[in-house]
Amino acid sequence: MNRGRVWLAVMALWAFWGLVSAGALADDRSLPAVIRDVQSKIVKIYGAGGFRALEPYQSGVLISADGYVLTAHSYVLDADYITCTLDDGRKFEAKLLGADPRLEVAVLKIEATDLPYFDLAKAVVAAEGTRTLAFSNLFGIAFGEEPASVQRGVVAAVTALEARRGVFESLYTGRVYVVDAMTNNPGAAGGALTNIQGELLGMLGKELRNARNNTWLNYAIPISQLTSSVELIRAGKVPPAPEDGPDKKLPNPMTLEALGIVMMPNILPRTPPFVEKVRPNSPAAKAGVMPDDIILFIDDALVQSVDSLGAALARIAIDERIRLTVERDRALVEVTLEVPLEEQTPKRKTPEGQGTQTNADGNR
Amino acid sequence: MRLIAAWYCLAILPFTAAAVRAQVDLAAKEEQAIQAAVAQVAPAVVRIETLGGLETVGSFLFGTGPTTGLMVSADGYIISSAFNFAQKPAQILVYIANSPVPAELVSTDHNRRLVLLKVNTDKPLAVPEIASMKDLRVGQWSIAVGRTFGDGKNPNVSAGIISATNRIWSRAVQTDAKISPANYGGPLVDIRGRVIGVLAPLAQDGFGAPGPASEVAGVEWYDSGIGFAIPLEQITELLPRMKETKELHAGKLGVSLKGTDLFSGDVIIAAAAAGSPAQQAGLKAGDKIIEVDGAKITRQAELRHVLMPRYAGDKIKLAALRGEERIEREIELVAEIAPYQFPFLGILPLREPSEEQGVVVRYVFPDSPAAKADLQPQDRIVALNGKPVADRDGLLELMAAEAVDHEVELEIRRGEATKKQKVKLAAYPELIPGELPPAHGEIPPGDGEKRATGLVSIKIPEIANSCSAYVPESYQANVPHGVVVWLHGPGGYQEAELAEAWKEHCGKHDLILLAPKSGDPLKWQRDELEFIRKTLDDVLAKYNVDRKRITVAGVEGGGAMAYLFAFGNRELVPGVVAIEAPLPAGTRVPATDAVQRQVFYVASAKQSSSAAQIQATIQQLRGLKYPVTVKDLGDTSRPLAAEERAELARWTDTLDRI
Repeated sequence: MNRGRVWLAVMALWAFWGLVSAGALADDRSLPAVIRDVQSKIVKIYGAGGFRALEPYQSGVLISADGYVLTAHSYVLDADYITCTLDDGRKFEAKLLGADPRLEVAVLKIEATDLPYFDLAKAVVAAEGTRTLAFSNLFGIAFGEEPASVQRGVVAAVTALEARRGVFESLYTGRVYVVDAMTNNPGAAGGALTNIQGELLGMLGKELRNARNNTWLNYAIPISQLTSSVELIRAGKVPPAPEDGPDKKLPNPMTLEALGIVMMPNILPRTPPFVEKVRPNSPAAKAGVMPDDIILFIDDALVQSVDSLGAALARIAIDERIRLTVERDRALVEVTLEVPLEEQTPKRKTPEGQGTQTNADGNR
Repeated sequence: MRLIAAWYCLAILPFTAAAVRAQVDLAAKEEQAIQAAVAQVAPAVVRIETLGGLETVGSFLFGTGPTTGLMVSADGYIISSAFNFAQKPAQILVYIANSPVPAELVSTDHNRRLVLLKVNTDKPLAVPEIASMKDLRVGQWSIAVGRTFGDGKNPNVSAGIISATNRIWSRAVQTDAKISPANYGGPLVDIRGRVIGVLAPLAQDGFGAPGPASEVAGVEWYDSGIGFAIPLEQITELLPRMKETKELHAGKLGVSLKGTDLFSGDVIIAAAAAGSPAQQAGLKAGDKIIEVDGAKITRQAELRHVLMPRYAGDKIKLAALRGEERIEREIELVAEIAPYQFPFLGILPLREPSEEQGVVVRYVFPDSPAAKADLQPQDRIVALNGKPVADRDGLLELMAAEAVDHEVELEIRRGEATKKQKVKLAAYPELIPGELPPAHGEIPPGDGEKRATGLVSIKIPEIANSCSAYVPESYQANVPHGVVVWLHGPGGYQEAELAEAWKEHCGKHDLILLAPKSGDPLKWQRDELEFIRKTLDDVLAKYNVDRKRITVAGVEGGGAMAYLFAFGNRELVPGVVAIEAPLPAGTRVPATDAVQRQVFYVASAKQSSSAAQIQATIQQLRGLKYPVTVKDLGDTSRPLAAEERAELARWTDTLDRI
């Protein structure tokens, strides 16, 4: 009898603790629970590709209970028949609703209901050092109901994207999270980046190289950059087309000749910008530019070679005042140059100015 | 039972919930700590920009983007990775408090691959706190910090753990944080923001890869989970020296050691190179190194751990045993040891089994020191400088302690008479003798196991490549044979044809021809070096091979492989033949070694597409004092003719010349 009562008491206590602990689990959840929850919102996308180094798959994120899928805009979606496999293994044909090529983002729709999803409005932001989880079907390793792969890391940098694919610069140049997890792999594009609480931070980007040092870049586009385009696409509208590149040619660009500067002959791919001669009475001479100066900055932009000097000048109109920072005897000297009105009309090329004239157009 | 189970649940469940909460708490606290550590070190982490410079170094395409440095003293000194300046920029700018300041490259440390920069600024620099190496534990947090993204206002971060200490022969700490050009030159800090070390790409000296001498070696491991940092404790110690010296080089002692196993056997000097610190200190072949600077040395690896971190100009206290006698020397290490040129007496040894001690002369090279001293075939050399000569290998070992122009005293027995004769050693000849007398007479077959002869197929488990060998019908297990490893050119080879071409030479010179095939018949891949090694190991295991007469010969891509294989397996390959093949780009040619001698045979046509590089290869090898026999194939490239094959076989037969 007594023993039975103890038993009951124990069972009651046990049930009580069970409730408490279940509550605790639901509140701040363990890492495995967080991961499992996010995985349920990741889809495997299959489409075009399968030849050369173009894998016919990528990843996506469910962003509504009724089957909207956020993913990267890529060749994979350039197919008559796109399929999505959910975390539970169900397979659906997907319709490409629309894409924003500026952001390289696309929205798909599958016919399903009651799906687990990320509410884009609840996405959060991160800073350098934030611990992250990356979810994707990289290398197409997961099939059917196998969950997406998880990688852990931290946000390495929050920065504007300066990247390239082969020799092409990436279209998107906005803010990204660079992460120190190796997400830069076939099939990862379109996956999710979350913090360790499982809150959505961004969408994993494509395979790109860092344009600054040629290393592979692991990055995600913050959700805040994507929401307005995604809303437009979901509403059946077309996001604005990409603008013309920033390198629109000026009708009357600044030239070294107009400034009166002759640079060291441009014979190497990265000839350093040394001033060889300054023509007497030229704007450069008046401003005090001297032979052997090395031009470091135009306004505040670093100039790393004679080539980049030419390209930088081509973006400045001839009637603008420019500020040069040069190095002379181990000190930085700032000079301001202005081309007088009468010299602003393009002149005949002088033999000595010829080489630099072509450089100023940014071509060699 | 049920009761116990219930109590168990009662005890465990709340604990689990608490543990989960603690785990989540910990993760959040760690995140805060990582961010705080980065903030702590950030003022000392500078962004560096460069102007001008090369586009590529080795096969690495340099970006023009910023790199990172670490302030190390308040008066304007900054440490960075030498990698960041390998492109040799015309101008260096360091950003102090977001404004550019011109910097001067004060010093380059070629051993730890660091540079010291100096900026002229009135602002005092932030000097970071140093993490103590003795408190460092494998598994603890380590955070890599760079300043290369965006406008550089915020540093970039990668978090990992310490994977190992004392790596790269006690010069680096290893981390699994992601280390790349995005943070080379920046600090690796602990969870409190104290600097453990400065991040740099490093590589272990090794298999055909560019060794640590290359400024970009190790970059191929970027972001791989294997990254290195040079301890700041070591750097701080180096600073006074770097401020005064433009170039710091690894210190060299100048000894060759007996045996190639780093981890077993005593550390015994095989030769002290002529003019080296070791030789000047009076160290000799046979001395056993037992102590350096108070640290006990029992294995070659321990000696490396002590010596590799040291610099030219460093003094070491070395203790060695000569017999029973303990000798102690203080030795100053140097940057370069004059390349060792192999000394030459001018004979080929007879390869006949003999009960008697000594080396019997098989052939005397014309105009050699031996010829001048009137040595003749059948003379028996019984002693060199009073030391008895047991056999050919014994004589070669004694010769390793000698140098060109040394005068040595030979004891020679001719018939019943014995005489002593002084001989001045010369350099190795590059000419190949015309006809050679046989290396031995009839040798009665021994009881050795009978092995397959003729065309033999060799299969290496788990490797798809195929391989054939030709073993002469005359093969006997009691006669050591040389090996020619033939690495075909583009297009592979026909087994029967190759066997036919080499049959006569193999029989005449006791040679086995080994011909591995590349997976893709058109080209070799670097990772097939391992396959080649395994085929050679197979032959070594099954046949009686004379390790002094192994040649690796290759045509075009096969020739490139021959170079790589030879430098990666120096103890096995005394002869290297490259036909229409220059040294592969980025290959570091090791210095000559008195014990592991290597000689080269380079054949090319005048209008070969790589004639210029082949000439450069010959120059480079000769500059390092390697003997190079050059064969002119005429105007246009062609396969070797029959007489050239015969010459090659003869050349292999002379690899045991003394």
